[in-house]
Amino acid sequence: MTLTPLKRTGFGVAAAFALALPAAAQELTIIRAQDSNHYDPPRTTAQSGAEIIFMMSDTIVGLAEDMKTIEPLLASSWDVSDDALTYTFKIRDDVSFCDGKAMTAEDVAWSLNRWQDPETKSPVRWRMGDVKSITALDATTVVYELNAPHSELLYQLAQSFGSIIDKDTFEALGKDFGVTGFNGTGPFCWESWTPRDKVVLTRHEAYNWGPANYENAGPAQVEKVTWQIVPEAATRTVALLTGQGDISPYVPFIGYSTLRASPNIKVIKSENAFWTNYMGFKITKDLVGDVKVRQAINLAVNQEAMAEDLFFGEVEPAYSYVSSGALDYDTSLDDSLLKYDPERAAALLDEAGWILNSDGKREKDGKVMEPLTITFTGEWQQTSEAVQADLLKVGIELQIEPMDSTVYWGKSATDEFEMYVMGYPYISAGDALNLYFRSANIPTPNRMNWSDPETDELLVTGSQATNETDRAAAYAKVMQKVHDSAVWLPIYHRPMQIGYSTKLAPFVAHNIYGAGLYKGLQLAFTE
Amino acid sequence: MTVTTTNIPSTTKASNGIKGDVSQEITAPVRAHWMRRLLRDRAAFLALLTLTIVILGAIFAPMLATHDPASNSRSVMTPPAWMAMGKAEHWLGTDGQGRDIYSRLLYGARLTLLIGFLAVGLGGFFGSLLGLLSAFNEKIDPWIMRTMDVLLSFPAILLALALVAVMGQGIVPIVIALGISSIPDCARVARGIAIGVMKQEFIEAGRAVGLSNLQLFNRYLVRNAISSIMIFISLRFGQTILIGATLSFLGLGARPPASELGMMASQGRDFLLFAPHIAVIPSILIFIIVLSANVAGDALRDVLDPRLQA
Repeated sequence: MTLTPLKRTGFGVAAAFALALPAAAQELTIIRAQDSNHYDPPRTTAQSGAEIIFMMSDTIVGLAEDMKTIEPLLASSWDVSDDALTYTFKIRDDVSFCDGKAMTAEDVAWSLNRWQDPETKSPVRWRMGDVKSITALDATTVVYELNAPHSELLYQLAQSFGSIIDKDTFEALGKDFGVTGFNGTGPFCWESWTPRDKVVLTRHEAYNWGPANYENAGPAQVEKVTWQIVPEAATRTVALLTGQGDISPYVPFIGYSTLRASPNIKVIKSENAFWTNYMGFKITKDLVGDVKVRQAINLAVNQEAMAEDLFFGEVEPAYSYVSSGALDYDTSLDDSLLKYDPERAAALLDEAGWILNSDGKREKDGKVMEPLTITFTGEWQQTSEAVQADLLKVGIELQIEPMDSTVYWGKSATDEFEMYVMGYPYISAGDALNLYFRSANIPTPNRMNWSDPETDELLVTGSQATNETDRAAAYAKVMQKVHDSAVWLPIYHRPMQIGYSTKLAPFVAHNIYGAGLYKGLQLAFTE
Repeated sequence: MTVTTTNIPSTTKASNGIKGDVSQEITAPVRAHWMRRLLRDRAAFLALLTLTIVILGAIFAPMLATHDPASNSRSVMTPPAWMAMGKAEHWLGTDGQGRDIYSRLLYGARLTLLIGFLAVGLGGFFGSLLGLLSAFNEKIDPWIMRTMDVLLSFPAILLALALVAVMGQGIVPIVIALGISSIPDCARVARGIAIGVMKQEFIEAGRAVGLSNLQLFNRYLVRNAISSIMIFISLRFGQTILIGATLSFLGLGARPPASELGMMASQGRDFLLFAPHIAVIPSILIFIIVLSANVAGDALRDVLDPRLQA
């Protein structure tokens, strides 16, 4: 099969329009909550890393806002062999890096090989599939060969991890690549990074190869972008209200109603965000080893009340582990989802032998039901406390151990808890399931210790499927399986919401890996 | 200037002129029972009254609370009753989880005061013991005091962070950290006081009649130094409460759903713009407790410390 690039409607017009824009003060400040550990594409899995890497570099293919349409980017077209093992990418010959050097197929192959290289220690190498080889045939052709089909390959290659960077700059900077400097082909170029304060990017003047989901293929319509970190949630709201920042995808839920009421601010929302917050069960632990207990906990928690009271109705209460809008979500799951029903929860606990004792707590064989959850401080702690209060009503005494995020990641890789908290972005059901439910991914990200040979097999079947029906069928079975076992307590699906100043032209929010502004080509001042 | 000149001579005249009588008049009320003198000081009286009310509230929290402090409700961020949208059911309002702030305040004060008392008790006991020993025995004096100098260079917050990392979150590491950080100050003050006592003639006399070191230490030194040391420890109380609340604010203290005043203030921080009462109310209580403790401590020193009565 051959995929040809979509006609870039109005490409020329848009480019001409962009160039004709008046050169007013075109400096944009984006308010964000936290920094990334560094900005080296294959080595950072932070959302805060991805959102800047997308702006500074390009991937071989792009993804449209609908999270389903693959757009040509550095590759103008591609062929996939009938056995789905060989992808041949035609690489554009008119692309240059920020330092002016032309980009070739060689750079593409080198960047992807670096992602794959065990020495890079990329935590997301599995996203590339079972790679046989990635080679540059000539200056404009890259051949990506697999040992087994990987049905999501193009989606994965659109992620920030596969961003194409300049080999020379990387070799010159070594470990400091993405720390003291960066050289990519993106719409913006690295100017400076002050850790935990800000990242400053300047416009890549030569850029005109933006993906077709944007009217403006380049160059960017603002000259400078500053990603300013403001750790306090309330301060971010104020910064936006007072014009100290122009855009923020990190407004606290409580702030949105204020922003919407403000004449100077608009809020856009996208339901295709595919970001789910959940609490997982360490199913190998005694207290939560029984599926009935896990189901009871699911039934005892009132996600709807939490969505309204804790998150001010800005989120969608979650009962499934993957948002229903995501690719390969199986709607037959809808009827079996565990929704708020404390009476059934109590009955299940009784059935499982956890009887209410004289203190009103659940007890079995002299042991009290007091599972421990670890949690991040901040919003997650509030969430845990709400879950704690709900569980108390059925006699479960949830213990909460809040910790700083720097401690949390390490702790969550241990066996020292019954429950943990996590929020994660995904592009499809398959992406989510492969990430969490492969037994090979124990202890992280499979913190549940979910080890099931059939799941493993189905996940392989799904990811190696060469047609959409087989893939969807395999993933649907896994979905049913893990939901039946209640290995998670889903809390909410978070929409992508971005508050922005009315000085900016309206735009559509993106959702890839939680990076709502994606390449930033749409950002423009109207005044 | 002109005003004072009229006053000062009159008193100096009085005390200098008719020597015997006036000095009698002045010292007589000073000799009155210290408790009565304390209560005569209006600020001290108010401070003590406030502290007593807070302590009683903390002790009888289960009876005074109108709601279960851990139980949430659907009415979140209700403002206090006297504000618009307030509800009589929650007269101080509810927090972000819909929990009754008044009830949480009572239980919070309980934990906050408990942390303060335990930490000050721990630090005060070991600190004064070390200080007294140091003054009593010149051989171990430099060893103890140099150890105190090392401890002094350790900030309480850093120590608490390290302890929490090792022991896990809870009030025990906080009490230990605060206690340890109180030790050097208490030791120094106790040593200073004890050195003064050691120079007194009755110590010499005690030695002369052949008292053992233990007896000398117990009967002569401790008993004569203890009241001054206690005053210092009481002054330390307010400060300890404040650091304890700070640590809880940083998320190092009590585990949820337990409430602690610093933790309550911290939980309200995210809503400061929209529902300020969640953070402000516990902060006010911390302020009141610390202020009262300090004023009461000062007053206590004024009436009890023999050195200030000269």
